[in-house]
Amino acid sequence: MIKVSNISHFYGVEQVLYDLSFEIKSGEFLFLSGESGSGKSTLLSILSTLLKPSKGELLIDGESVEEISNIDYFRQSKIGFVFQFHYLINYLSVYENIALAALEDKKQNINKVLGELGIADLSSRYPNEISGGQRQRVAVARALINEPKIIFADEPTGSLDSKNSAIVYGLLQNAAKKGTTVVVASHDMQIEDYATQIIRLKDGQIL
Amino acid sequence: MISLKALTKNKFKSLLIFSSITIAVMAIFLISSVSQGIIGMYSKMIKTDGDIIITQKGISDTFFSNVDILLMDKIEKIEHVSSSYAMIVGASPIGHIPIAGIYGTTTNHFSHYKLSSGEYPKKSEVILGTNIAKQFATSNINIGNREFKISGTYSSEIGFEEGGVVMNIEDAGKLFNRSASFILVSSDSPNEIDEIIKKISALDSEIEVKTTQNFVKEYNQFKIIENSSFVISFLAFTMGLMGIASVMSMIVNSRKEEFGIMRALGKSRLFIIKNLFFETLVMSVSAYLFALVLSLGILALLPHIEMLQGYVNGTLSLQISLYVLFSTILMALFGSLIPAWIASKTDPILLINQGCA
Repeated sequence: MIKVSNISHFYGVEQVLYDLSFEIKSGEFLFLSGESGSGKSTLLSILSTLLKPSKGELLIDGESVEEISNIDYFRQSKIGFVFQFHYLINYLSVYENIALAALEDKKQNINKVLGELGIADLSSRYPNEISGGQRQRVAVARALINEPKIIFADEPTGSLDSKNSAIVYGLLQNAAKKGTTVVVASHDMQIEDYATQIIRLKDGQIL
Repeated sequence: MISLKALTKNKFKSLLIFSSITIAVMAIFLISSVSQGIIGMYSKMIKTDGDIIITQKGISDTFFSNVDILLMDKIEKIEHVSSSYAMIVGASPIGHIPIAGIYGTTTNHFSHYKLSSGEYPKKSEVILGTNIAKQFATSNINIGNREFKISGTYSSEIGFEEGGVVMNIEDAGKLFNRSASFILVSSDSPNEIDEIIKKISALDSEIEVKTTQNFVKEYNQFKIIENSSFVISFLAFTMGLMGIASVMSMIVNSRKEEFGIMRALGKSRLFIIKNLFFETLVMSVSAYLFALVLSLGILALLPHIEMLQGYVNGTLSLQISLYVLFSTILMALFGSLIPAWIASKTDPILLINQGCA
């Protein structure tokens, strides 16, 4: 699903990633771990097509990211995101937040996805009317709505208690079991229980 | 839909944009309407009762023009001339009023002013327009160190005249030291106007003879008013545009996260630009309608404000309304252009960097 070949990255003259190469297969649950400054956020940004690497090649679903003509559509149709602070839009209801991310032909599935995640009753509520755990479940629903090939999650449980963290990991694990590749960057070692592949980064290199 | 929700979410900032557009649009409306109103009033005054106007050659303003009134005798003998009258237009302090219009006219033009009370003025007498009459309870008034008896009051459809004083042309001649500001000539045959103009021009080398239509079209004062109005409107437009641009920049800055989310979700830059344009457009069109209602209210009030003596009058034509609507839409588009462009360039990585450990 994802093939990383000799990827390096620089911020100005400072090198943060060193010649990384690895593969992630479909349906894997990859745990990207590392200390602050290890380069995991940069690697996650590159893998999720948000950042262009200084060197090397990234293939997603057989396509070289460099050669994708409409990266916005590619991102919307093939990639789902879950961020640490949920990043829902406050003036949109739960339903509208998911609809914003949904492709036209996927909008009919919004209620179904909300039901599967146990938050169907929150559909008309606004992000500031629900709990942190519920918000993150909405963020997962938003990531799943287009049935993406890959979900990238950046510290998805960083602002949650252990109970809600377990719920979110469970949801991501379920997605992986259905064939979606899940890549999670986190400090939280609890995730090792769910991961099928682990990449540990230190100073921009794979340990 | 997202745009409308965003507007209600950012109430204060939306209100700031709404206010700056409303003020700018109102300024454009009022200055355009008032200048068109003034031009309209003066044009009407000149065009209503004559086909041809005679002014002093080389003098661009009727206030400074001096034409020999004796020409009237010769003019009336020209074939197809049905009537003529002379007029002096001037301005002077009247009693406690610092400035008011004074119209000295030949007696054959008195009927133009509809008497509300009293009788038309004889020597050393004046009649007062309805607006200015409200400010005088006395039977005499002082104009330019001379005392005149008020012989009556009159009404007129023209605001300038409503706030002015009418006297016979001989008295006005003594006040302003001239024979006549202009002579207006009417013809009983529209096809003969050009021929009449030629014949009148031949009577005196010091006069300029034009159709009243052409005079109004070429009158320098109108051009000055129109240009001034354009400059003020342009400044108001620029102020509105800057207001939109600065508040939109604030909005974009405070909503960076939201645009980052949209970019991360795969929304295109065009999607963000279109949404911000639409937000500004909705506010601008609402502000336009609000400003239109306010301006109509103010323009309706203007003729009733005694202090203005009826001189400031506004005409809000469909043409002005469309011109202002077009300016408003331009203001919205240009004002939000750079902020929307900046918003569309929001890098979604900021979402990862903010959350990164």
